Amino acid sequence: MNSIIVSAACGILMMFGSVWIGNKNYFRFIAATGLLLTWVANWADMNGNGLFQIPASGMFVYTHISYFFNAILIAATLIYVIISGDEVTKQGAYPAEYFSLIFFVMSGVSILMFYNNMLMLFLGIEIMSIPLYILTGADKRNLKSNEASLKYFLMGAFSTGIMLMGIALIYGGTGSFAIDIKRAGSAVPGFYNGTSFLEITGLLFLFASMCFKVSAAPFHFWTPDVYDGAPSVFTSFMATIVKAAGFYAFFRLVEVRMAQTATSVDWKLIISFIIIATLFFGNITAVFQQSVKRMLSYSSIAQAGFMLFSLFAMNDLARQGLMLYAVAYSLSTIGIFAIMTKMKDYSFDGYNGLAKTHPALAATNTIFLLSLAGIPLTAGFLAKYYMLASVIRTGTYTWLVVAAVVFAAISVYYYFRLIQAMYFKNGEPVVAAISPIFKYLLISIAIIIIAIGAFPQLFFNLFYFG
Amino acid sequence: MPIQYYIFLAAILFSIGVIGVLIRRNAIIVFMCIELMLNAVNLLMVAFSKMHYAAALTDDAKTAVGTDAQLFVFFIMVVAAAEVSVGLAIIVMMYRNVHSVDINFLNRLKN
Amino acid sequence: MEPTEILFWIISGIAIFSALMVLLSKNPVYSVLWLIVVFFCITNHYILLNAQFLAIVNMIVYAGAIMVLFLFVIMLMNLNTISEPRRTLWVRLAGVVSGGLLLTVIISTVRSAVDMNDKKALMSTGDIGLIQNLGKVLFTSYAIPFEISSILFLSAMVGAVVIGKKE
Repeated sequence: MNSIIVSAACGILMMFGSVWIGNKNYFRFIAATGLLLTWVANWADMNGNGLFQIPASGMFVYTHISYFFNAILIAATLIYVIISGDEVTKQGAYPAEYFSLIFFVMSGVSILMFYNNMLMLFLGIEIMSIPLYILTGADKRNLKSNEASLKYFLMGAFSTGIMLMGIALIYGGTGSFAIDIKRAGSAVPGFYNGTSFLEITGLLFLFASMCFKVSAAPFHFWTPDVYDGAPSVFTSFMATIVKAAGFYAFFRLVEVRMAQTATSVDWKLIISFIIIATLFFGNITAVFQQSVKRMLSYSSIAQAGFMLFSLFAMNDLARQGLMLYAVAYSLSTIGIFAIMTKMKDYSFDGYNGLAKTHPALAATNTIFLLSLAGIPLTAGFLAKYYMLASVIRTGTYTWLVVAAVVFAAISVYYYFRLIQAMYFKNGEPVVAAISPIFKYLLISIAIIIIAIGAFPQLFFNLFYFG
Repeated sequence: MPIQYYIFLAAILFSIGVIGVLIRRNAIIVFMCIELMLNAVNLLMVAFSKMHYAAALTDDAKTAVGTDAQLFVFFIMVVAAAEVSVGLAIIVMMYRNVHSVDINFLNRLKN
Repeated sequence: MEPTEILFWIISGIAIFSALMVLLSKNPVYSVLWLIVVFFCITNHYILLNAQFLAIVNMIVYAGAIMVLFLFVIMLMNLNTISEPRRTLWVRLAGVVSGGLLLTVIISTVRSAVDMNDKKALMSTGDIGLIQNLGKVLFTSYAIPFEISSILFLSAMVGAVVIGKKE
C-alpha cells in the first residue's frame, strides 16, 4: 500500500517537475531518488514499519512474497532508470511527463502485487496500461510508433472488454468479486461438479484476457508490432517490468481463483496447450527475424512461455522460479536494450565487429544473451531450471519438459547469431558516444546476473530472511 | 423479469460490439464498438446486482447485497472516460500524420 | 403482461436495432447518433431496474460527455461516407461468424446453468441503487479504489496532454 502512495506522489511531483525545473538532466536523478524512496517504503512496509496504515477492507492482501516481488520490480525499474534515463530524456519534448507516467505505471504494478478483489485487478491493469499506450506513441512523428500505439490501445481496450464480461459472468455465478470466495461447498444439482456454468465461462473469459495481457499464444499477435514500433527505451520497460507484473497478477489469479474450480475445469491441460503454443510461435518466428529488436520481441514471447510453467506447476519451486525468472529476464533484457539504444542500426549486421571497437559492450551483451538463452552459470539458466524442476515435481505432463528443452535449444540459435555477429564478423558498427559510467553500470548488471547464477542461495536468503 | 432475458440482451449487444471490432476498419468506429461492449457488461452487472439483491431480500429486508456490482459499474464508467480521452488523443495524433483513421494504414503505405 | 415487461421488450428491441445500425451505417456521424440511442435505451433499462444513480451517470458521462467527444473528433477530421475504408467480404464474413460463435457460447452457458432458472432481476423496486446507499458503501469499504481511480485520471490527463500537444 505504501509503495502505491509513494509512487503516485512521485508521479505528481514529476508532473510538475517540467514547470519547476529548467534543466532536463535533473529529471532522471529525481526519478531515481523517487524510486529509491518507493523501494524503501515498500521494504519498511514489509517489515511492519509502514508509513501509512490503511484498512484494506478486503481490497488488498499483504503477503511476504507480494512485498518481495514488488521490491524486485521496483529495484529493476530503478536500474532501468539509472541506465536508460538519459535515453528517456532524449525521447521527446516532455521528459518529466514520461518519468511521471513511469511512476503511475509503477503504482499500477504495486496494485497488481496486492490485489484481493477483481475490481482492484481491473483498476491495476488499467492504471498500468493507459500510461503505456502513451509511452508507446511517444515518438509522435514516427508512423511506426503511431501505429503501435493505436494497435496497442485498441487491442488493450478490447481485451479489457472481454475481461469485464468474464468478471460480470463470475459475479452472476457467485455473487462476489473477491478472489478467495468462501464457498458453500456441497455439490448442487445442475452445477458442473459444484461450480456454476456462468462462473466457468466467466473464468475462461478472464483467463483469455490475462493471456492477452502477458502476450501468451494464441493472443500474442499484437506483441511484435507494438514492441517493434515503440521507442526502444520504452519497449525495454514494457517487455520487462510490466510483463513480470502481469505474470505475478496472473499467477495469483490462477493460484487463488482458478484453483477453486479445479474439480470442474482441467486448468493444467489448458495451460499446457498455451505453453506449447507460446513456445512454438515465439521461438520459431524469432529464428527468421533480421532485426535485433524484432527478434527480442519474439524472444519475449518465448520467455513468456517459460514463465507460464510457474502457472502450470503452482508449488513452492514455481514461486521461487517465477521470482528468479523475473530478475534474470528483466535484468538481461534491460541490459540488451540499453546497448541497443546506443546502436544506430538495429539489424544483426549493424552489430558486426562490435567486439573489436567496443569490447566491454560486446562482452556484457554476450553475458545478457547467454542468460536469456539459459546457459549454465547465469541467472537465466537457474530460472529455467527451477521452472522445469517445478513441473517435474508435479509428476504429470513430463512431456512438457522435453518440449521446453527442445525449444530452449532452438532459442540458442538466434541468441548466438547475435554473438557471432559481434565477435566473428567484420564491420564498422555505428555506436553513439558511450560514457564510462554507462560501461560500469553494464558490467555491474552482468556481475549481478552471474552472481545470482553462481550463488542462488544469496538471493533466496534475502527472500526468506530479508 | 427472468434473469435469462437480461443475459441474452447483454450477450447480443456484446457480440454486436465484438463483430464491429472485427469487421470495421475505421479506428473511431472500432473504438465505439468497444464502448458498446463495455455498456453491455454494465447492463449485465446491474441486472445481476438486482438478482442477488432479490435473492437476499427474502432473508433480510435491509440487505445491501448487490451494491458492490453497481459500484463496479461506476468504476467501469470512470475507466471508460479516462480511456476515451487517451484513445481519441492517439487517434487524432495518427490523423495529423497520415490524414486517415484506417487501422491498416501502414499496410496500405507499404503496398 | 405488466407495463414494466412491455417496456423491457420495447426498449430491448430498440437497443438491438440501434446497435446493429452502429455497425451498418456508412457515415460515422450516423454511427455516433445510433450509439447515443443505444446508451439512451440502456439508461432506460437502469431506470426499470431502479438503479437511479447509474441511470443519471450513464446519461451524463456516456451520452453527454463521451459521445460528444466522439462527435467533436469526427467533425474535426471531416470524415464522411466517401473516405470510409471497407474490409473485404471474407474478413467481414469471418468477423460475423466469430461474433456469432461467441454469442452461442454465452447463450448455451446460460441455458445449461440450471441455477439461473428461477432467478429474477427485481424491477422497479429495491433501494440499493439509490444514491444514498451507494454513497455510504463507496466512501467506506470502497474508499481505496475510489482514491486509486484518481491516479488513473491523472495518468490519462498527463497522457492526453503529452500526446495531443503540438511540438
